[in-house]
Amino acid sequence: MGLWFSRLLNLFGDKEARILVLGLDNAGKTTILYRLHVGEVVQTIPTIGFNVETVTYKNIKFQVWDLGGQTSIRPYWRCYYPNTQAIIYVVDSCDVDRLPTSREEFQAILEEEELKDSVILVYANKQDLPGALSDAQVAEGLGLTSIKNRDWSIFKTSAIKGEGLFEGLDWLSNTLKSKRR
Amino acid sequence: MASDARAGRPGAMGDQRYFSTTKKGEIHELKQELSAVDKSKKKDAVKKVIAAMTVGKDVSPLFPDVINQMQTDDMELKKLVYLYLINYAKTQPDLAIMAVNTFVKDSQDPNPLIRALAVRTMGCIRVDKITEYLCDPLHRCLKDEDPYVRKTAAVCVAKLYDINAELVEDRGFLDMLKDLIGDANPMVVANAVAALSEIQELSGKPVLDLSLATVSKLLRALNECTEWGQVFILDSVVNYTPADAKDAEAVVERVLPRLQHANSAVVLSAIKVILRNMQFIQDEGMVTTLQRKLAPPLVTLLGAEPELQYVALRNISLIIQAYPAVLANDVKVFFCKYNDPSYVKMEKLDIMIKLVNERNIDQVLLEFKEYATEVDVDFVRKAVRAIGYCAVSIPTAAERCINVLLELIQTKVNYVVQESIIVIKDIFRRYPNRYESIIGTLCDSLESLDEPEAKASMIWIIGEYAERIDNADELLEQFLESFPEETAAVQLQLMTATVKLFLKKPVEKPQQLIQLVLTYATQETDNPDLRDRAYIYWRLLSTDPEAAKDVVLAEKPTISGARDEVEPALLRELLSELGSLASVYHKPAASFVSKLRLAVQRADDLVARAAAARASGSGEEMLTSAAVAESPMAASTGATPTAAAAAAAARPAAAPVPDLLGDLLDLDVPAPAATAPAAAAAAAAPDLPVVFGEDRGKGVVVRARLAQQPDGSHVYEMAVTNVSAGVPLDGWMIQLNKNALGLAPAVQQMQLDPVLPGATASVRVPLTHAPGLQAPEQGTVLQVAVKCNQLGVLYFADQIPQQAAAPGASPAADPLAGLF
Repeated sequence: MGLWFSRLLNLFGDKEARILVLGLDNAGKTTILYRLHVGEVVQTIPTIGFNVETVTYKNIKFQVWDLGGQTSIRPYWRCYYPNTQAIIYVVDSCDVDRLPTSREEFQAILEEEELKDSVILVYANKQDLPGALSDAQVAEGLGLTSIKNRDWSIFKTSAIKGEGLFEGLDWLSNTLKSKRR
Repeated sequence: MASDARAGRPGAMGDQRYFSTTKKGEIHELKQELSAVDKSKKKDAVKKVIAAMTVGKDVSPLFPDVINQMQTDDMELKKLVYLYLINYAKTQPDLAIMAVNTFVKDSQDPNPLIRALAVRTMGCIRVDKITEYLCDPLHRCLKDEDPYVRKTAAVCVAKLYDINAELVEDRGFLDMLKDLIGDANPMVVANAVAALSEIQELSGKPVLDLSLATVSKLLRALNECTEWGQVFILDSVVNYTPADAKDAEAVVERVLPRLQHANSAVVLSAIKVILRNMQFIQDEGMVTTLQRKLAPPLVTLLGAEPELQYVALRNISLIIQAYPAVLANDVKVFFCKYNDPSYVKMEKLDIMIKLVNERNIDQVLLEFKEYATEVDVDFVRKAVRAIGYCAVSIPTAAERCINVLLELIQTKVNYVVQESIIVIKDIFRRYPNRYESIIGTLCDSLESLDEPEAKASMIWIIGEYAERIDNADELLEQFLESFPEETAAVQLQLMTATVKLFLKKPVEKPQQLIQLVLTYATQETDNPDLRDRAYIYWRLLSTDPEAAKDVVLAEKPTISGARDEVEPALLRELLSELGSLASVYHKPAASFVSKLRLAVQRADDLVARAAAARASGSGEEMLTSAAVAESPMAASTGATPTAAAAAAAARPAAAPVPDLLGDLLDLDVPAPAATAPAAAAAAAAPDLPVVFGEDRGKGVVVRARLAQQPDGSHVYEMAVTNVSAGVPLDGWMIQLNKNALGLAPAVQQMQLDPVLPGATASVRVPLTHAPGLQAPEQGTVLQVAVKCNQLGVLYFADQIPQQAAAPGASPAADPLAGLF
């Protein structure tokens, strides 16, 4: 029914997609959300809970949910899984030490039954900092390359400079549109 | 495995279907609706959830779905979600953390209403896990530019204090609250005061220190506050002790206009403040003027609806007991109206009794007579009693009262007659040999008596005046017929009356009667009072009838009118709580408010802690361990929880005296909490000070003192009392922290046999001098740890007595000096 419903919306040109922004703490999720929402870098504090904003891009309304990445909050991500069209998974490319942890969380997300139809977009964030891993290295670290049965893509981003974010959204909107058809 | 088991039982599989239903139910439907795209549909769903919540359905499974609606521009929706959150945060403490970020955001919202809403809701969520995250937003809101937000935040601090007092203190919220007292906005001032008073009540510590400067700040805000703000301010100003008469006058002057306020709570609080400060004003003329000014507002309170009247009357009753002059000329306003509810009438009657005097007795008597003819039996009885009270307390009016009573007896209304006879008995005792002429009238209504108290009174009168009543023996005989069925009071009275009769008229008939009574009372009854009294009479009469005459017919002291008044100490306390439930109950608040009782206990705990802190000085680790060991004791039920509570209650509530360590320790010894074994122990080791009291809740009391032997060496004299209910305590060991004298026990094991419950064992622990353990910075503090197998480690801090510290001091010095 969900598919039929969104097709109906398509007729009016009004599309809304529910997107979750996930990732370990200090990956830059909130900064990305507000960079997309207001186009500025805002001062953030660790998100204990969630932020939700609506980002309109290329005629698609993205309802973007930014969930806190701290260990204590990660268990509650699953409350937000139902009806999610896409996941934006944010990785701190400089945090080499915790890449394995990030991989574990990521793989757990892939396993989720409720998310089996959602599109995966990975942001290898903080590319502006020295010592950042390349997108290929991040993809390797997360085990992206072994994903066979779903749409995914990885982008090099810098939320501070605003680079790569909208390229990612481009890919996302295209992929979602093609999926709906 | 489970399925294997089932496979063996045909049909068992079928039963499973009852558990897995295809119907998802209301919760599922609501969940679907909450995840709808359409905003109005979502809002509708939230409304449905709230509706279900208010009728008592459990909608807590929807917690994540509802709090996801939290970030919205729609104020109405936000309020609904907050409402849900307040209700269910406790049941979903883990998930509640997801709401934190929204609170943080909302507390920075441009709209002050949203900021205030957020901070108010935060205060209502009593979940430990998230309180810490809410401190920053609260901090921000306390400094908000908008007064509405500030005042809301002020109240939130008090709420937070209830959840986590330490957090509030650590984050400096108390100081911020105190700063708010100087706020430009009167509402903020009022709320800050209210919050501080509540914290003070919760903690039992003096948080709100009232200097003249603070008080004048508060009073300045008074005029512009809302009525309830005024009540808060006045209620805290009452705790202010003016330095001199001038300060008191200044306070009174500012509060006086409040007496005209329409809100009765404001009026009562204002009166409370005025009465309090009046004590400090020396100028007699001014005090009289003030008292006169208090009357009109009190009278006005009686114009309100009955419920408020009742509250006012209860308070007035306290006020006129302390200051009878206030309403001395206003007895008329307390005259009952025919349509007053019974509870108001009763109170009015009480107050009339208190205000009655020689000038107004005629008026009042007329009223009472009127009341005695009403239909409400209880009220009528009370009115008759009131007449009796007037007769007893105002000698010049006694005759008039008697006449009224006689008139009432003529009405032949059963309960009026009975009640009259009861009060006439009192009048006879008050004015012996003056009104006995009416006895004849009384005797006419003998048959109608059916209540024990009236019967007992009548019998007393017959016995007392047996010589003037010709047929006294016949009258008593009538009563005696039903002797076995009477209540104890009547039986006792009958016996005494018969004895009196016999002594006054020692003829045949009374002799028979007395035989009858005493035989029955000694042989058939099982009431010990009756039996004992009968034996006494019997022996008295059989040994020396003349002596019996002297004893039984002795002159009785005259009685005086005793009205049921509140005790002076309690009265003082209640006057400072005027306008609260305490003043309506006429009971101290601590006796019915459980929170206060806790606070008293907590204050007690704090005193102990403060003492420990002082004693331990630089010994930080010792202090923390002592504090840790202490707090669970206070919370959990120790070996003697009731005793500890009683001890806590016995001590004054908010009197932390951290600098009187010795005093505190001394207090513990004779505290009423001391149970029998502890008392026994006190006798066994009378001269050792308690270093580890029963109030520590370990079920053990340790008394100890450091003493110096004649040869210069030190011993630690100890007496251990086991006040627990259960086990013997054994395996005793001792260790001292580094101290100024460098003392340490020669051996850690104490030569102490197992201490049985209730027993006390004494031991002298020889100490050696170890220069390595010398720590001069400890001063006179001696920190001791004692261990036993059953209780674990007990820490306490003792003092090194001066004479023990001074080389070559006399060991036989005054033991009290050891405390200082």
